Formats: sequence, structure tokens, C-alpha cells
Amino acid sequence: MRDTGLDQALQTFFMESRELLIAMEESLLALESAPDDTEAISAIFRAAHTIKGSGGMFGLDGIVAFTHVVENVLDRVRNGEVPVNGELIALLLCCRDHIGTLVEQLAADPDAKPDMETEANGVMLLNQLKAHSSTGQPPVAAVAPAPAKTQIVTQPPLDDGTVASDNWHISLRFARDVLRNGMDPLAFIRYLGNMGKIVHIAVLPDALPFAPDMDAESCYLGFEIDFHCDGIDKAAIEMVFEFVREDCSLRILPPHSRIEEYVELINDLPEDKIRLGELLINCGSLTKKELDEALRLQALRVESGQEAAPAETDAVSQLGDILVEQGMVQPELVDAALGKQKVAKENKVQESKLIRIQADKLDQLINLVGEIVITGAAVSLLAQRSSDSALQEATSTLSRLVEEIRDGALQLRMVQIGETFNRFNRVVRDVSKELNKDITLVIGGAETELDKSVVEKIGDPLMHLVRNSMDHGIEQTELRLQRGKPAKGTVHLNAYHESGSIVVEVGDDGGGLNRARIFAKALEKGLVTANQTLSDQEVYGLIFEAGFSTAEAVTNLSGRGVGMDVVRRNIEALRGTVEIDSREGVGTTVKIRLPLTLAIIDGFLMGVGSASYVVPLDMVMECVELSEAERYATRDSHYINLRGTVLPFIRLRDHFREQGKASRYEKIVVVQYGGQQAGLVVDELMGEFQAVIKPMGKFFSNLKGVSGSTILASGEVALVLEVSELIQRAVSLESHSISKV
Amino acid sequence: MTINIEASNGVCHAQVTGEMTIYHAAEMKGELLPHLDGCNEMEINLSGVSEIDTAGFQLLLLVKREANRANKLLRFVAHSPATLEVLELLGIASNFGDTVPHVL
Amino acid sequence: MAKTVMVVDDSASLRQVVSIALRGAGYDVIEGCDGVDALSKLTGQKVHLVISDVNMPNMDGITFVKKLKQMAAYKFTPVIMLTTESQESKKQEGQAAGAKAWVVKPFLPTQMLAAVSKLVMA
Repeated sequence: MRDTGLDQALQTFFMESRELLIAMEESLLALESAPDDTEAISAIFRAAHTIKGSGGMFGLDGIVAFTHVVENVLDRVRNGEVPVNGELIALLLCCRDHIGTLVEQLAADPDAKPDMETEANGVMLLNQLKAHSSTGQPPVAAVAPAPAKTQIVTQPPLDDGTVASDNWHISLRFARDVLRNGMDPLAFIRYLGNMGKIVHIAVLPDALPFAPDMDAESCYLGFEIDFHCDGIDKAAIEMVFEFVREDCSLRILPPHSRIEEYVELINDLPEDKIRLGELLINCGSLTKKELDEALRLQALRVESGQEAAPAETDAVSQLGDILVEQGMVQPELVDAALGKQKVAKENKVQESKLIRIQADKLDQLINLVGEIVITGAAVSLLAQRSSDSALQEATSTLSRLVEEIRDGALQLRMVQIGETFNRFNRVVRDVSKELNKDITLVIGGAETELDKSVVEKIGDPLMHLVRNSMDHGIEQTELRLQRGKPAKGTVHLNAYHESGSIVVEVGDDGGGLNRARIFAKALEKGLVTANQTLSDQEVYGLIFEAGFSTAEAVTNLSGRGVGMDVVRRNIEALRGTVEIDSREGVGTTVKIRLPLTLAIIDGFLMGVGSASYVVPLDMVMECVELSEAERYATRDSHYINLRGTVLPFIRLRDHFREQGKASRYEKIVVVQYGGQQAGLVVDELMGEFQAVIKPMGKFFSNLKGVSGSTILASGEVALVLEVSELIQRAVSLESHSISKV
Repeated sequence: MTINIEASNGVCHAQVTGEMTIYHAAEMKGELLPHLDGCNEMEINLSGVSEIDTAGFQLLLLVKREANRANKLLRFVAHSPATLEVLELLGIASNFGDTVPHVL
Repeated sequence: MAKTVMVVDDSASLRQVVSIALRGAGYDVIEGCDGVDALSKLTGQKVHLVISDVNMPNMDGITFVKKLKQMAAYKFTPVIMLTTESQESKKQEGQAAGAKAWVVKPFLPTQMLAAVSKLVMA
């Protein structure tokens, strides 16, 4: 299992299981509104079936054992033996989650045992599943195994009357159809030869008809085999021929069988008895003496009239007939299967266009493309300095291509937001049950693409917002009806592109925000003053402040006053913004605006001493010169008066302990973030710059105010500043310096 | 699968090339037996046989038996590795040359 | 000459593991992710054995085997059906369609290898 190929396959299994579980969940939810949807039932069954099947191959017994029971219940559902109802769907959803937990625990550590809680949960679910499992026999035993063709029961060897040979004797007569069924008798004999030693083998072509009647695709052969293998039992030999059990008459005599058993064998076989006897001697199964004894016993039997009539004349070909009869298949089944195919085909076409690659490979590629962009810029710079116009032309073509590669590479990381949205189907279902509200989720713009790194981080904020909408937004049914709204509430998720960024909306048709109540609450919390005049937007924005909560009842889900400020922080960490639009009694929509990618930003480059710094361009409000007088005045303070308002600032020179004397003409770059402004004091303004951001190594993770680095065309490294942290620092310095005064 | 036949002076040389499997068994039977009928002596060259299964082996047995019944000489020559493997498996490599296998 | 085995299953990880096991034992492997995909890859080349799942999207294993058995180049090619013990009826349906061998899911790679070598030795 520690084979790299198998390790990779195991990773594939985890990925595949996650996808199957998502599909399973979607289908289970679909089943809620349409319990007869056979397509959904099949999809659910298939998911469980595949996870069990593949899991078993990796020896993941825990997953197999649990999924097996789920699969059994699903099989009964599929056969219409178990009715689909809300209770069953809820149980199956829990089972799905449990399988997901098992998968994730193994993905984290393939050797791990499930923890106690998981184990207990599994046992509980299994007990619940029992109620839906088959009532009678377990499915394993539901079909009796086909009777083995071996007719001789092993008996304890007796001292006398047993043969000397310590070899097994195997007698094979194949059915006519065995070759047409794709089974090659020679292949089984070859396998037998690998398992032990074929001491002797005799081919019996007695049944081969005259040439004109011989069908070249039929099998007429029989084999008598003397086989030696230590430490096996009869069942093991039977297993060799399990696939031809119906196409072959198989007799097995263990070593040291009694002579009588050989007599029975000879009697049972269709060929001439004397010849068979000689054959057995040739095989080494019997000695001449033993054969004589056998024939004597047979003669005795005939005398006493015990010999069974050789009724086997055409047993072999009869078997074939039975098989053909069994081969009847209802044509309507095929038609139904074909009908389904058409529907699924379109999906398939898209699917086959996709290839699966590891995310870190892609990250590496994008990293390299970043390096190329930088190196390319350096080459252009050198080319411009030279007077070689051919070189300049070549580098400009190169630059254009590099840009295309960069765009293409970034495009690779773009994924559709639909998958993230779809997860909320389950959330909305579960939460609406919990809240006892009837709420439906409407998804729009599922095909909108955004960077994978953004998608991964947007889940949590969306979760907060959706739950908040359901909990506080959507009114109780009675109230909705009073207000003349449909009883069923709607939460919508929507996404679209707008001027270089992506907008994700979470909306509801609930009660809307109560401006007066928010304002009152903010006043109480000291977030605003009574005589402040604020726009609606600004008031609504207050709910994103830390510790703000207006809900009168603290519910299970939200209303604890944490959440909305976390949402804003998360979104701002993605360099995004959030705004609220609401109309009382009509509904609320939260709009999240995110950059398309986190890997490249339009930056603003600034110099301090010998170092360079970058801030995202869209956070820069303006640049102002710090006059000599102001410099003197602000030597010890950390704010200036900018057109009548207090602007806290921070000297990057001090913050980063840059050596050397400050420039005589220091500038302040005014940056804004999250509604706050601050100034960054720098030596030099170096203009706009497209920066490929490289994350900081772990070593620098506690460096305050820096989010990453980028490399300039000159090859120098510039730090990308974390504006929000710097603003906070500036604000705290300012209050500190004010309190000193 | 192809069978090349060269006949002269009542001796028929057949060269089998490719798969002697169930996919071609009927075709082979249809080609080999008439040629056996039309000659006094037959030599089947198996050097080009890439694969042989039970159907192919059974056909060789049939041709051999038909030749015996008609008192004609039949030789299998130049066994390819694939044919040898089967004959060895069945313990008849030594006598599947120009004598009748003992099972017949 | 290596024998060729086709593996048809909608689980990529299953195909991967089976392929690793078979290639390690000396077989050549062709993969198909469902019946439609598998049929599109069967263009008359020699295939000594087909391993097919029953439950697959687009085209299930039973339909696939029936279609396979209608193709001149594959009508005698042995088929191993991947069944589960809860699917005894499917197994019979598969046998009727022409898949005379079966392996019960879940299985270990060695079990698959044993079944394969009963039908076609590498």
C-alpha cells in the first residue's frame, strides 16, 4: 500500500469519494421533492456502491462495512421494497455525512482508526438502518449457491480400500458452449498448473464428432488430470473452475480416496470404462492392482443390481440448453437503459473534456509564470538600454506572449462557483427544518468563474450570511402571510462579473433591516453618536461591526453577536468588500465584491531608503507631500491634519527599521480600508506596478504588516503591505500620541 | 489468421500464421479439411502461430484424426512458442509431431 | 506478447489500482470509464479479457456486455463482471448477457489478479 502508484490511486479514491458524496447529497435532496425519481435513486445507489467497491480494494474495511449496509438499504429502495420518505432521506443524509467523515479521517491519516465519536455515530446509524434492511435472510444468502457438480463427498481415508496415490484426481468434461462463452479450458488448466503440479494430464477427444458435424466453436474435449498440491482443500480446486461451473462437469477425488470412489467416477463418466481405467493408470491415479480391485467391486455391484443407470448421456449438452434459456433478457429493460443514456450523454461530453490535475502542480506553474513575467520584464529593460532594435522587437513580442501565458495560466485556476453554491442546498434544507420555516434556495450565476483560492475561502462567510438570512431575515410563516408574501421564503445566491471583480450576492425576501433599531443598537454600543447623520448604507454597514447583534432572541444559529464582523474580516482578507442593500418588509441583499484572483494585483510601488513596497492600487486614495513644517510638527506625533480631518499615519521607515536618513521630500500615501483611512509615509512614489504576489515563507509569518512579496523588474524584492494591519497600527499610534498630549 | 497452401505431387504444405483461436476456428476448419481431402500427405507448419486456445488445439486434433481415418500422413512441424506451450501443458509435446497422440 | 485487458469502471481509483496490479503482472491495460467510453475505445484491436462494472453512468455494464458480444471482434472475449453480493440478480443478468465470470466487490487487487489469470494467463 505504500507503493507510490497505489498512494496516488488512494488520493484518487478520496477525491472521487468526495465528488460521489456531493452527488449523493444532491440526489437525496432532489428525492425530497420527487420521491419517485428513479434517476436520483440510482445515482445515490451508485455513489454508495462505488465507494464501497473502491474502498474495499484499498482494504478500507471500516468504510466498506458501513457502506455495505447503506448499499443494501438503497438496493431495497431501488427495488421498491423500502418506501422513500422524509425520515429515510434524513437517515441517508446522516449516513452520507458519516461516510464523508470516515473518508476525511482516512484522507488525513490512512492508518487512523475512527475516533470514538465517529464510531458511536456509525453504530447508531447502523442500528437505524437495520429497520430498513432486508427482514428475512441476509442478502448474501438470498440466492442459494449453484449446486456444485462434485458428486463425491470426502471421507476419512481408511487404512484399507484406499488408493496409494497422494495426488488429487480431477475429471473435467466441458459443455459445448464453453468456448463461445469466452471461457478457454486451457486457461483454467494453466492456472491449475500454476497453483500446483500437474503430474499427468490426459486429453479425451472421444466426444469429437466426424468432421462434417463438428462445430469448430463448440468444445468436445474432456480432461483427466492427476494433480499434486500440498495444503489445499477440494474447495480450492473447485474455485479454479468457478467461472465454468455451469459449463463443465467437474469431479474431484482427494488423495488416498477409496477405490469405491474411483469406481463411481468411472461409472459416472461417459467414456468406455475399460479405457477410462487404463487412463487412470496412465495418469498415475490408480495402480493396476487398484484398478483390478475397482473393476471387481463394480462387477459385484452389477450383480447385486446396484449400478445406477448411466443417465449422463447428454447431461453436458443439456447444461448448455439451460444456459441459453437463462440467457433470455427482457427487451424493455434494454430500451429503458437506452432512453436514460440520451439524457446523460450531454453531461458526458463535457466531462470527457475535463482533466484532473493536482492543485499544487497548478500553483507551481503559476509561480513559474510569475517568475517568467518578472524575468521577461528584466529582459525588456536590458533590451531597451541596448540599441539593438531587432532585440527590442523580439523582447516586445516575448512580453506579449508572456502576458498571454500569464492570463492563460491564471485562467486554469478559475473554477465555477456553482459547486460551492450547491452545497447550500443541504444547509438550507437542514436549517429550515431546524427553524421550522419553509425556505427554498434559488441559485443564479452558478457558472461564474473565480480563482480557486478565492472559492476555497468564500465558503465560511457565505455560510454565515445564508444562516443569518434564514434566521433573522425570513419571517415566520404567519407573519409572511400577514404581510401578503408567499408562505415559502426564498434565499438566493447569485454571482456575476462586474468590472474586473466578481460579485457574490446573498439575498432573502424576508423582513429587511430595521434602520431605527440598528441605529439605536449602535448608539447603545457606542459605535455612533446621536447627532451623527448616516446614509442607509452606512447604518446597515454597522451590523458588520464587532459585537453588534440586534436579534432579540439568541438562537441556535446566529444572534450571538459574533459572525457578521467575522464575515467582513474574512472578506477583507480576500481583498474584497461587502455592502448591504435592504428594504424593510421586502428583503435584504448582501453584496460581496471580490478580486478575480489573489495571485496578481495592480499595485502601487513606493520607495523607502533602498527598499521598495507595494500596496494594492485600489486602496490608495491619494498622495500628498509632507511639507517641511509638517515634518517638524509631526516628529513625535502620528497624525496630520488633512483638509480638516485627522489622518493617522505610520512611517514605513520606522516600522520596518529602515536604515539611513529620510528623504527631504517625504510623501504620504493615503490608503483606505474597511472605512478607515491612514497615511503611509514614504520617500519616493514609484507609480503603478503589476505585482505577482508570492506568499511569505513561514519564517516571516510574524512580520507585521506584510502579506507577501513580489519581485521587481530589476530583480529586487519588494514587500507587499497588508494595509489593514498598518491602518490599525497607525490608528493605535495616533490614539497613543493623542493621549500623551 | 491466414493459411498459405502449397500443393505439389499430392503433398500439401500448409502454413498457418496468426491466431489459432475460436475467432478463426470455423474458418480454419473450412480451409484445412478440404485440402486434406485433396492430398495424400499433409504437412502443417505452425511456426507462425502467435496464439492458440482450446478451439485451435481441438481443430488440430480433428485434422489429425481425420488424416488417420483416411490413412493419410499428417505432420505438424515447426511449432511456434505458443503452440509448444499448449502441447507442453497437456503433456503431449513429444508425440504431437508426426505420431498420433496417445489419447486418440 | 502481452495479453490485453480492458477495465471498465466509473471509479477512477478502482481503474487505477486494477491497472497497476495487471500491469505489474505483465498485462497490457486499456481503461474505459463507462460503457460508451469503452465501446469507443474498442476499434477491433485484440482484447483478451474485459473487466466491467455493472453500475455505471451513460451505459451500464449489462448493456455494454450485450453490445460487446454483438461485435465480431469481441463476441468470444471473456468478460469479468464486477458485482456485489447484494446484486445476485445483476450477476445473473450479466451472465445471461455473456459475462460468465465475476468478481464480487469489494475485492483486493490480488483477488482480481487471480480471477484474471484463471481466464487469461499473462
